[in-house]
Amino acid sequence: MLNPKDIISTLQMVREENLDLRTVTVGINLTDCVSDDINTFKSRVYDKITRTAGQLVATCERIERRYGIEVANKRISVSPIGVVGAPFNSEQMVEIALTLDKAALELGVDFVGGFSALVEKGMSRGDQALIDAIPQALTESQRVCSSVNVASTRAGLNMDAIKRMGVVVKQAADMTAEDDGLAAAKLVVFANIPQDVPFMAGAYLGIGEADAVVSVGVSGPGVVKAALERAINEQQDMDLSRAADVIKQTAARLTRAGELVGREVAESLGLPFGIVDLSLAPTPNENDSVGEIFEAVGLPAIGAPGSTAFLAMLNDAVKKGGAFASSHVGGLSGAFIPVCEDLTIADSAANGTLSLEKLEAMTAVCSVGLDMIALPGDTSAEMLSAVMADEMAIGVINKKTTAARLIPAPGKKAGDHVVFGGLLGEGPVMAVNMGEQENRFVRLGGRIPAPIQSLVN
Amino acid sequence: MNKVLISVLGSDQPGIIARVSDIIKQHNGNIENLSQTLLDTVFGALLQVELADADSAEALQTALEAACQDMDLFIRVHPWREGSSDWHQHKAAAQPYIVTAIGPDRQGLVAEIAAQLYQHGVNITHIQAIFKGGSNPMDNLMVFEVDVPKDTVMQALRDALTEIATRLDLEISVQHRKIFDSVSSIVN
Repeated sequence: MLNPKDIISTLQMVREENLDLRTVTVGINLTDCVSDDINTFKSRVYDKITRTAGQLVATCERIERRYGIEVANKRISVSPIGVVGAPFNSEQMVEIALTLDKAALELGVDFVGGFSALVEKGMSRGDQALIDAIPQALTESQRVCSSVNVASTRAGLNMDAIKRMGVVVKQAADMTAEDDGLAAAKLVVFANIPQDVPFMAGAYLGIGEADAVVSVGVSGPGVVKAALERAINEQQDMDLSRAADVIKQTAARLTRAGELVGREVAESLGLPFGIVDLSLAPTPNENDSVGEIFEAVGLPAIGAPGSTAFLAMLNDAVKKGGAFASSHVGGLSGAFIPVCEDLTIADSAANGTLSLEKLEAMTAVCSVGLDMIALPGDTSAEMLSAVMADEMAIGVINKKTTAARLIPAPGKKAGDHVVFGGLLGEGPVMAVNMGEQENRFVRLGGRIPAPIQSLVN
Repeated sequence: MNKVLISVLGSDQPGIIARVSDIIKQHNGNIENLSQTLLDTVFGALLQVELADADSAEALQTALEAACQDMDLFIRVHPWREGSSDWHQHKAAAQPYIVTAIGPDRQGLVAEIAAQLYQHGVNITHIQAIFKGGSNPMDNLMVFEVDVPKDTVMQALRDALTEIATRLDLEISVQHRKIFDSVSSIVN
């Protein structure tokens, strides 16, 4: 016999608080598809993806009905194309992106990630070709996402790659000017990218992973907010120790829901189960916002002093709850603060309570980084690179993942509004300090050495 | 083997189980299984008891009624033959589901849902109502814990329940029990 309280709280999580499985992502290793003939490679890639994940959407739909939980997105991640497509030039890389797109369309999946390169220490020919191809590939494809790892704690920052990515991001945005630079919203630059992220745009299948693997990304900022609000109502003198407990317990429950569904999808598809990534990933909807959690604990708005402290606690408590609930927690696991994908964060950015500089500070303690941030269209490529470099340095020094998904919206200036649609949302264009200027520091290139691992002050 | 089933119903008060079990002990009976529930202020208990060979259900009932006469209880003692019904013996493999009906209490709600569950071969293992009234839909909830046989067509069951939901202005969901267990319990 189930406890009525448990029944009600589970139903509330699903019905009212937007618990959803943001994504079931099937990682597919493409190393056995390699060929130096582009047509052979493309056909092997297409066949392997459609064969391995052919039943993904139908399986997810069946399991959605069984448990009454929505699987919002079904996604594919593949081995980094910069590695498996190393023999090809940039035009051919675009063809590969379109092949991935076609496979995604055929399967009915929402996104395919892995149009990626790992260049934290240097660029191979394949990586170079892939990076050159990114703007066109993301413009011509609909569902392909791209990520480039430009830094790591062990390798330091590849400033040549960061310099190049500033140009690439700007090109990608310019080529999709009529959509406010949408292509740049599907491109993310990383430090310390995890090998098993199920979330986009950073999903790819690491080289150390299995031939195919099912991973799950669980979200639920609305559930955490509701749990905190209930705790505050029930206990007027609730302090932050108690709030941390509430977040941990909620995170554990969300993780267990994710693992249940993930394992069942994996079993149905005959694939191993990888990880649960419990990340508070907002959508541009009410009651599904990370920013609202900040308001629930009494901050006037996300971005106000105190925001970094609370985010640190939130991110840590989410990780602790997740790690307790499942032995296979991975990916990014924590709290995202993407501006355009979160109604409340977008509002704070629009009315000036949240600046780019405060966001950057907060990324030192969140689980991703500067995410989904629209910038003025006249921001120079060098300044974009410099913003990325700052963000990567935070990750490298703090031994954590950081990322930058910056969209220099063509023709837009600070305070204007951009719309990307769907989960990518909409929001204000945020000002970049001295954004249109040159930046000779970036032009120096080279590498910023890996940080010392002792003397940790 | 001299088994009896005892049902005890009445207004809840201290001492019901104490008196009933004492009489069973005096009859050298052994309580093999029991379940007790409270419905608001109403007490209900069901006991499976093994009696001494020479004893009888009638004698025990008389003794229990005499011992509890100031408690205003309804006590019945039935002879009980161990051994399961045909249905138990040929029970199909089943999956546990939770059917929840959210919305205002309505006459016939339980009957309509139970009829459709029965028609689709579904067995109710536990049922509880959480009716607190008021406008919050979550305060008006019927929960059916059920076993759905493998050969039941889930979609047909869902369609039948959806039809009831539309007609009675309810929200009915059918979810596998594992999701509730997973989310609510730390241990597997």
